[in-house]
Amino acid sequence: MKHKSPIRRLAILLFIGALLIAASGRVDQLRAYQGAQVAIFAIAISAIVLLTGYSGQISLGHGALMAVGGYAAVLSRTHWNIPYPLSFIIGSAVAGVFGFLLGIAAARLKGPYLAGTTLALAVGLPSLANQFHVLGGEQGLTFDAGNVPSWLGSDFSQYRWFFVVTVIAAIAVFWLLRNLLSTRYGRRWRAIRSNPTAAALAGINVGRAKVLAFTLSSTVAGLAGSLFAMLLGLVAPLAFTLTLSFTLVTGAVLAGVSNLGGSIVGAVVLVSIPELSNAAASHFGGSDKVTANLPGVITSVLLIATVLFIPNGPKMPKLSRQ
Amino acid sequence: MFVQRRTKGGIFAAAVVAAAALVASALPAHAETGVTSSTIKLGVTLPLTGAAAPGYNKIPAAMKAYFDYVNANGGVNGRQIKLVVKDDAYSPSQTLSVTNDLILKDKVFALVGTLGTANNEATTRLVNSQGVPRLFVNTGFSGFADMKKYPTTFPLFPSYATEAKIMGKYLSDNFAGHKVALIYQDDDFGMDALKGFSTAGTTFVAKIPYAALSQADPSVIGKWVTSIVASGADTVVMFGVTSATGALAGGLYKAGLIGKVQLILGSVGSDGTTLKGLLGPLAPALAGSIAASFLPSPSDATDEYITQFKAINTQYNAGATFDNNVLVGMNTAMMTVQALRAAGMSPTRASLIKAIETKGSTWASAAFSPLLYSAKSHVGYTGYWFGKLGLDGNAVSVDGPGKYTLYTTDSGSGAVVKAAAARPAMPAKGLPKN
Amino acid sequence: MQIFINTILVGLSSGAIYSLMSLALVLVWRSTRVVNFAAAGQAILSTYIGYEAMSSMHNYWLSLPVAILAGAGISALVEALVMRPLAKRSKGTPVEAIAPVIATLGVLGGIRSLAGLIWGNNFIQYTSPLSSKGYTIGQTTIPFSPQNAAIVIGAVVVMAMFAAIFKFTRLGLALRAASFQPEISRLAGVRVDRIRTIGWAFAGAAGAVAGALVTPTSYLSPNSLDLLLVSGFVAAVIGGLESLIGAVVGGVVLGLGFAFILQYIGTSVTFSAAFIILVIVLLIRPQGIFGRRSGREA
Repeated sequence: MKHKSPIRRLAILLFIGALLIAASGRVDQLRAYQGAQVAIFAIAISAIVLLTGYSGQISLGHGALMAVGGYAAVLSRTHWNIPYPLSFIIGSAVAGVFGFLLGIAAARLKGPYLAGTTLALAVGLPSLANQFHVLGGEQGLTFDAGNVPSWLGSDFSQYRWFFVVTVIAAIAVFWLLRNLLSTRYGRRWRAIRSNPTAAALAGINVGRAKVLAFTLSSTVAGLAGSLFAMLLGLVAPLAFTLTLSFTLVTGAVLAGVSNLGGSIVGAVVLVSIPELSNAAASHFGGSDKVTANLPGVITSVLLIATVLFIPNGPKMPKLSRQ
Repeated sequence: MFVQRRTKGGIFAAAVVAAAALVASALPAHAETGVTSSTIKLGVTLPLTGAAAPGYNKIPAAMKAYFDYVNANGGVNGRQIKLVVKDDAYSPSQTLSVTNDLILKDKVFALVGTLGTANNEATTRLVNSQGVPRLFVNTGFSGFADMKKYPTTFPLFPSYATEAKIMGKYLSDNFAGHKVALIYQDDDFGMDALKGFSTAGTTFVAKIPYAALSQADPSVIGKWVTSIVASGADTVVMFGVTSATGALAGGLYKAGLIGKVQLILGSVGSDGTTLKGLLGPLAPALAGSIAASFLPSPSDATDEYITQFKAINTQYNAGATFDNNVLVGMNTAMMTVQALRAAGMSPTRASLIKAIETKGSTWASAAFSPLLYSAKSHVGYTGYWFGKLGLDGNAVSVDGPGKYTLYTTDSGSGAVVKAAAARPAMPAKGLPKN
Repeated sequence: MQIFINTILVGLSSGAIYSLMSLALVLVWRSTRVVNFAAAGQAILSTYIGYEAMSSMHNYWLSLPVAILAGAGISALVEALVMRPLAKRSKGTPVEAIAPVIATLGVLGGIRSLAGLIWGNNFIQYTSPLSSKGYTIGQTTIPFSPQNAAIVIGAVVVMAMFAAIFKFTRLGLALRAASFQPEISRLAGVRVDRIRTIGWAFAGAAGAVAGALVTPTSYLSPNSLDLLLVSGFVAAVIGGLESLIGAVVGGVVLGLGFAFILQYIGTSVTFSAAFIILVIVLLIRPQGIFGRRSGREA
């Protein structure tokens, strides 16, 4: 991939996107919904890959950054009545600004200190929505994604439309990140991650590079949050829990952390594990407490086994290797 | 890999669709989604795991028990009711995911008793676009009665605003001149309540909000008690969930305030059995508290609904302690059976909704409150009675056992009306014949 | 004035609770450089085992050692079965720092589900014979009970005992050596793997003390220690992660800060309070109160 030009990359990504969108016409709505979930998770995971895999910072608070993006998108769409693709851009931008401020503090902190701070953020921020009437309280704010464009025909389901929108967004994000990472910024971040002291000696402004990474990562997370709001049809504090933040980091580890293409695999695993667990659990049956908790046990076992046996994520074909 | 998976899924799905089309064409023309000649499939989502699960996780088994009982007695118009239960861990995004499964994969006829405000909000777009009836949702958020926004949704429980207004009336009737403090959950649940209290004109010496789920932290409970002491309140209104009521009882005990302040509990947080599990040996600390309820007390052995449901619970819900959650489950299930019966010999989603709108207000249910269902209203219950918690944690009417005074009102500015409670009799053997 | 004193007492008693969990996290961090999110899960499981022991022996004090031993055993098992192989497999790879976090989250989820599967997702009472009624001074009852006193004593004993082990015993020296310089320690004849497992067992025992002492003040359910995990971790970070005294001081700082914010600023920031306190502390000292500058390198 290193030697491919941005144009070639775009062509490849567009081709994959076209295949996916064509394929989406042949699956039922449920799969289309899951496809959209995968695309959103892939975007959010790529935000963590950018941050952790490249600049070496850890965040357990990206669920909160998704919330910032989601709320900003919903509010801008509702109050200014703008087209929703534009609201995604506003959601990303607001999350980016927020991430910039957070990044300034984050650049001073290392490892577990940053993890602790972002964890506290993930716990604290979404619940603030209950304090301000404009944020809709516990039941949240609805996101009106309108109808499927009429030129697509009447049998084009809304979930399929969401799939198309999220895939296009994912392609845009992957293309931009891929190109960015092969510029000097990408090289700087890699240098910082592998040896911050040497990077500083080589004249890299470590602090500034880290803040930039945090800002970009937050912007991408904000986009994922905006798309999440569209898919869910609403933003609400309960939709952006600590569990979501943990899920994203899990996906990044499943992706191999420093592997942008792996984000997609991480996202597929995240979306399919609950379904596999439920299917497996339903074979055993038993009392209520067993059927309720068995999927959780299986999910955890699968997760631990995955981390244990493929700790560096899947081996990806050349397409996404650096 | 990703592409391959989808294409495979596509071919498989196409095959399934083709097969389903063949099967469908063999059925009578009127077959509705989720209804066959011998079965009706329903779905419910609620938290079975996670911090919100305790208590609520008893509801689906109780619903199933009642449906099993009806099925064993011939079902609904010859059809057996099947209930598909999904865990959403109280997360709206999980609610949407599992509701997708229920509607698009399991192809349920209707949703019943789905729990949570944000959770129901998250599935509204799907439910509306598919025209799926969503019956007797388990939340007190008054907004779901809006027929324009939620045309297929029917709330059952009275709204939080209704409850607060009624409690305000009760306070001014019985606690005039007392110094009353209010503890409330700082979200829509509490905001709705504040609105109701302000309509009722209730004044508090202290209003103490708390963030949902923060009652698990000792500092938060400490803050409640410190504020109560500082305000000099002799009466405390608790408008929170059961675990918050339990935490408050513990906090008052610690401060030596048991017996010195009168507790008044909202219906959400006053289930005696759950509180007993929470408080253990401290449970008697709640004795003497006043609690608002719309259903009869689960311990009232003289109530015909309770005795009948208890009998069904013993036979079909092995080992479950009969508490308010079991009662809610059974009552919801009985309402559902009446709705399905009224929907006709070949029920459709439209006929089900029509049935509730035209006949729902006459059906038998355990609550003392009337039901306000009509072609112009989707509001369910509107009334409460007040009971005193005994040492066993169960409420006995303040007017004496078996005597219930009902307070009814609306979610808006209407007056609170006091009347003797009346409700339709329990159908023979608990089997509706509507 | 009464409000002010009560707020201090509320802060101190909840601070002691945070300290206990914070100690469990610091002990793991010191021995293997891992933030152990499974700590809350391990403490839940050991507390359920303590509850079972109390159900059969009808004595809270006898159930305590059972819970503590169970906590040590569970924690050692987690280290030996999951963390050790993971550390070896992920060594030198990009996920080296973060994969253990995910593994401990997996263990946390697994234990919670397992507890739900065995004991059900209900509230259970695990009661102590100590009163939870506050002490009375003159006419006023203060918000500090014998059970709170037990928690404070528990935190101080755990802290002092492990501090002594680290400082005065060969085992303590080996524990420190194994975490800072595993390769050199191995050359020097320290059985690093076993030492690390012992480090985790110590942490598990501390977590079990937390679970068994704190649960009688509320209730037991598969999720009942979730919030404590977050406050415990924040307390550990405030304290500087390295130091056992720091863990306790961090807990008390968080407890007092939280109590004062709730009382004097308002409950609207309940869940943001930990973030606010943490940011204030880290802006002044990015390595925490008792952390060494070099200790920041994770």
